[in-house]
Amino acid sequence: MTIHEPGRRLMHGVPLKFVQKRVSGGNHRSVVAGLSLTSMIDFLVVTVVFLLMTFSASGETPVNKNVRLPSAENALDMIDAPIVAITGSSVLVNGNPAGNTRAIEDSKRLQRIDELFNILKGQRELWKQTRPGKEFPGVVVLQIDQDVSAVVVKSVFQTSAFAGYPNVSFMIDRLPKTH
Amino acid sequence: MIPFIDLLMVTISFLLITAVWSQMARLNADAQVPGPPREVEPDKIEPEKQLHIEMRTPDKFVLIWKQSGTVISTVDVPRKDNLVMKGNKKSIRYPELAQKIEAEWKTVGTHRDATDRKFDQAILHTDNETAYVYLIGVIDAIYQAHRPFNVAGKAEQLPAFNVTFAVN
Repeated sequence: MTIHEPGRRLMHGVPLKFVQKRVSGGNHRSVVAGLSLTSMIDFLVVTVVFLLMTFSASGETPVNKNVRLPSAENALDMIDAPIVAITGSSVLVNGNPAGNTRAIEDSKRLQRIDELFNILKGQRELWKQTRPGKEFPGVVVLQIDQDVSAVVVKSVFQTSAFAGYPNVSFMIDRLPKTH
Repeated sequence: MIPFIDLLMVTISFLLITAVWSQMARLNADAQVPGPPREVEPDKIEPEKQLHIEMRTPDKFVLIWKQSGTVISTVDVPRKDNLVMKGNKKSIRYPELAQKIEAEWKTVGTHRDATDRKFDQAILHTDNETAYVYLIGVIDAIYQAHRPFNVAGKAEQLPAFNVTFAVN
């Protein structure tokens, strides 16, 4: 078998002139397109600037998928603090179970959630042991579903406050400002 | 040129991977609970005026200015729940309440100067059945009133009130 020079082979066997012209590239634009470096670098620089401006060093706050957060306009940026989530009747602290709200929902009375209280108190003591001499910020973020009743919110709020977290923040979805 | 383009590509990849696309934020509300005992008792300070916002009936809000338990003024604001549904997410707006709170603060509020380091206090009271989304709507309305506040010699606009959530 003879050795042929490398090159285009497809449809070269068709004995028609217009087919030969087409498959060899004809008089058309080259298949190898040129790229304007200036435009590409402009695009890359703009993308880098946009991403740097929207960069958040604090990272993404985990949101429980069963929690539908309400929305508000006049909100503050998130902070690093323990997150107490209420999903259904379960209470979670940083994703770990910390009691439930069934007794409160049944009685419709304000009650302390002992498991939540003990976990938050433990976290507070741990924080103080690891940072001696520093003032404890006492901040907790509540991640509560939009349809949870006020008596449950009050119970969790009061439990957190009594466990040493009087500065409570409610996690919400930020809405664009209208005024 | 090639190392420069490589650097841009790597930077874009890093920023895209670590980008935060969610719009999570927070609304602050403190609880008035007793603090730890102090070694030296602070001097007795004059109790300040506080705005109590009562949300106990479905037809109105009651705004009450109180100073050490004494009622200074009371205003009723009709309650109109502007409920907006977006998918299965709800949001409630109370524009009339926000306007009234702002007007009340402008006439009765104590801490209005940009050099004043303290803020007026608003205390939200609600019944036990109200859904959480309505509480957020009211807290959002309270935070709509803004005042100038000097930060490092520059006046910035901050919410006029500190919000306390009353559990009683």
